[in-house]
Amino acid sequence: MNDVVSANAGAYPIDGWGLLITVILVAVAAGMSFVMKLGVERRMLWATLRSLVQLLAMGYIIRFVIAWNNPWICFALIAVMIVAAVQITLTRASNIPKGLAPQVFLTLLVCVILQISVVIELIVRPKPWYAPAVLVTMAGMLLGNVVAATAVAMSRFFSDMKSRRYEVEMLLALGATPFEAAKPSIVSSVKMGMIPTISQLASSGIVLIPGMMAGQVIAGADPLTAAKYQFVVLAVISALTLIADSLIMVLVYRTSFTALDQYRAES
Amino acid sequence: MNTVTPIVLEAAHVTCTVPQPAHAAPAKSPRPRAVRPWRRGASGDARSESHAAPGKTVFRDLSFTVHGGDIVDLIGPSGSGKSTLLTTLALLNPHATATLTLDGTDSAAMTPERWRRLVAYLPQRPTLIGETVRDAITLPFTLKVHQRDDAGAAVREPVPDEGMIRRTLDRVGCDDIELERPPQDLSVGQQARVCMLRTLLTKPRVMLADEVDAGLDDENADRVADILAYAAHQGMAIIRVRHRPADGRATRTWRLADGTLTELAAHDAHSNEEVAR
Repeated sequence: MNDVVSANAGAYPIDGWGLLITVILVAVAAGMSFVMKLGVERRMLWATLRSLVQLLAMGYIIRFVIAWNNPWICFALIAVMIVAAVQITLTRASNIPKGLAPQVFLTLLVCVILQISVVIELIVRPKPWYAPAVLVTMAGMLLGNVVAATAVAMSRFFSDMKSRRYEVEMLLALGATPFEAAKPSIVSSVKMGMIPTISQLASSGIVLIPGMMAGQVIAGADPLTAAKYQFVVLAVISALTLIADSLIMVLVYRTSFTALDQYRAES
Repeated sequence: MNTVTPIVLEAAHVTCTVPQPAHAAPAKSPRPRAVRPWRRGASGDARSESHAAPGKTVFRDLSFTVHGGDIVDLIGPSGSGKSTLLTTLALLNPHATATLTLDGTDSAAMTPERWRRLVAYLPQRPTLIGETVRDAITLPFTLKVHQRDDAGAAVREPVPDEGMIRRTLDRVGCDDIELERPPQDLSVGQQARVCMLRTLLTKPRVMLADEVDAGLDDENADRVADILAYAAHQGMAIIRVRHRPADGRATRTWRLADGTLTELAAHDAHSNEEVAR
């Protein structure tokens, strides 16, 4: 593992000019959008600057954490990442009731713990066991995917429950439990949240060389090693995303109902 | 007849207070009155439940009993809370409270699901789900409440078979409905009848029919009423909200207005209903 990380420095590093040329290319594209009145130029430029700053900041932080090589620092960083991920999930999901932060936090926490305990310690087995280069990057990739999937699933769930309102009330009137009444919405929400993840898993390697594998190969790693790594990461992230999607649904569907199993139409 | 058949449903302290929207000025006194037409306690009107506004009292402390075989017509001006009363009796209304007993058993002694399976609310809007009419009709039997009792033990509740469904459909004048058809293809009148039949086949003790004949032509409305009369004949108690002229099938008539419920004597019922409309 360590040679993969150190290989990063040896290959073809990008210098300040590289970053500048990249930003210029984005600016040209934004200029085209402006001329053609596509209206995406402002958001595109803003997003580019944000990603540059955020990624550089993350790079510095990870470099710092690797240098410290202390499990507490490493886990503190992961905790901060989880808290930020909760915030991003809640803002990205539209039209969801307030007060779902604990459920989202619990879901993300379970995923990260599963990933660290099962995947990293059983499959990758880094030395030392808390190797920040592995833990932090893996957790970051997982959280990115899980945040997108749970935000989509939650938005879909509450909008679907609203549009299925008469069906839900009919089912409750026939004696259905809240779970039975909510089940069609739960199923369609989990499916919807999983679409990007599954299609990414199925299409990887055909035309698409996923970022992680590309990065390792550019950095000089053996392509076969990189492929195995990429498969483990993609498959594990997909599995954990499915677990996260199911878990968040189980944790939130009840908020559409009262303690007496009545439908709360205004939630 | 009421003196010989046992009391099926007993209700006391039936109260519903809907929280006012936050922007509305709080009412000076919680005097029960019908302010505007609204549907079912959980409507868009009630935006924030946590907001402890005085709220609008739809009705308060109503008490009544219903016997097996009763067909009760519930009348009253629109907005007086007739639908709310029905959803309250089915424990479906989040804003209502009531002390209810069914055949002597308190509602708190069973799960809300069990209660609703026995005191069945039939919504005004026909909603059928499934590939075929048969699926739509047998849907209730796929629910847990029909497969396990409240203690979790499996129960052997017979799912109505093809012949049974067909016979019941024919008996209640639904011989025009094929079981293989997608339920969406049915006319509104047919859908209303299938919905009613779906609930009927689960054999509830009380059926709460919420304007199920609204928007139907006279012929379909009459068929729907026939189904209910048939059910009452089997010992079911029926409360129905209606906006049509009395059809002579009701054994009792209640009038809900200004938060109070009045039982009308048989000869008053018709004239009062005229006034209500």
